[in-house]
Amino acid sequence: MTQAAPIQTTQDAPGPVTSRAGLARFMRRTCSEICADLYMLVEPSVERGPKSVRIITSNWIFDALEDLGTEGIAAVIESGNATGPGMQPRAIVTAEATFLSSEERRALRDHGHAELYCQKLDAGGTRIFALFSGETRHGINAAALARAHMACCYALNQFFTATGSRASRDPLSERERECLAWVSQGKTTDEVAVILGVSSNTVNSYVAHAIQKFGASNRAMAIATAIRSGII
Amino acid sequence: MFDEEKLTGWSLPAEWSPQPVTGLPEAVRVCRRIADTMNAESFSLQFLSPQGESRRLAPVFDSDFPGVSFLSKALSARDAGAFARQIAQSTVPLWWRPAGGSPFPSAGARCWADEIENPTESDTCGIAFPVSLEHGRSGVIAFAGDSIVIDEVGLCDVHARCFALFGEVAKQRLEDCAKALPVSKREIECLRLTASGMTSEDIASSLGLSVHTANQYLTNSTHKLNAVNRIHAVAKALRSGLID
Repeated sequence: MTQAAPIQTTQDAPGPVTSRAGLARFMRRTCSEICADLYMLVEPSVERGPKSVRIITSNWIFDALEDLGTEGIAAVIESGNATGPGMQPRAIVTAEATFLSSEERRALRDHGHAELYCQKLDAGGTRIFALFSGETRHGINAAALARAHMACCYALNQFFTATGSRASRDPLSERERECLAWVSQGKTTDEVAVILGVSSNTVNSYVAHAIQKFGASNRAMAIATAIRSGII
Repeated sequence: MFDEEKLTGWSLPAEWSPQPVTGLPEAVRVCRRIADTMNAESFSLQFLSPQGESRRLAPVFDSDFPGVSFLSKALSARDAGAFARQIAQSTVPLWWRPAGGSPFPSAGARCWADEIENPTESDTCGIAFPVSLEHGRSGVIAFAGDSIVIDEVGLCDVHARCFALFGEVAKQRLEDCAKALPVSKREIECLRLTASGMTSEDIASSLGLSVHTANQYLTNSTHKLNAVNRIHAVAKALRSGLID
């Protein structure tokens, strides 16, 4: 296992990914190309609070939830081991992952998840993560994974464009997003009211809704959450 | 915790190894090497302005460095807003060809990349790779030339290398900005805690300061960041990567 095996996607060109089933097919093929056993596409879910995730598609759902729970999955993606496109993939050895509890580590081991890779995917500014699990250490082909990373981003972009699910994914309404964007530029409530041509009370209520949706404690935190999740 | 020896087993392609870029001339050289892999003649790296409504691209460097190439001018022109919006919306590569020209990406590459109307006025083929970093910094690296060849694997490779290069260029920018903004460690700490929803009182008690001092740190950092208020300062600090 010394050669970097190029990904063989050209042979069975899959056609555009236009549905959830297509996305699952693409991810399964990616798994076999990089010698991974299981995959999961997740996104941090701002509406449900800081330590939660929403699973977009996975062939690993039941035992992942049993092993890790959404909090464990959130711990993995927030652990600083996720790598973006163009970066060297980083193996997470589950037995030594100190950011997981000992129960979570044991559960992962018992279900045969020796190593994980967490790839940050880019789909027009949204934060989505692909988790790949391998049954043995050194089992996943990191070089092939580095190549497949971009293809995963493309597939996800196509999926969102075709299904239009990205719009509904955004927890904020267009007006709320606009208000937050102006507030983040340092505008006061009154100034935003003039810019958008609505009353100050309306602006305040848009911002209050945004704060509530993010589970934030004040404006500053709502702005920070929105910037971190790429909404503004 | 990480398995270093892992990567000796499956080695990345040599040209992928992270290349720290120490200045714009070097970034230009790295970009030229990327252009060479697909036979492109000119290239242009641009930042997307974060301003909400009117998306605009601003060139950082291009193949005519230190001058400005036709490609940079065309893509950042006032009426190229549609192109900027496409860049902002999706990560999918965009390619174009002159009227009557035949498509240059392979069938496999065309499966991922979208054809767009030629955003330049010249009769040249081109392909643009949207790139972004966390916290909203995004942009594009575009290539043009009459004999570009690219297949699916090349598309993924070039795009990943564009991401790596863009990250290096943006980091360079940040370091330059950070030098110009002598925000102290304490001030950064106060901004970070403000971003996590804490009030001045909370910050004071968690850092063992008086409320007055905590406020003073925040006021200072707001001035140093050239922001108009605290929320603006937090937003600027997050976008510039001062806090994460």
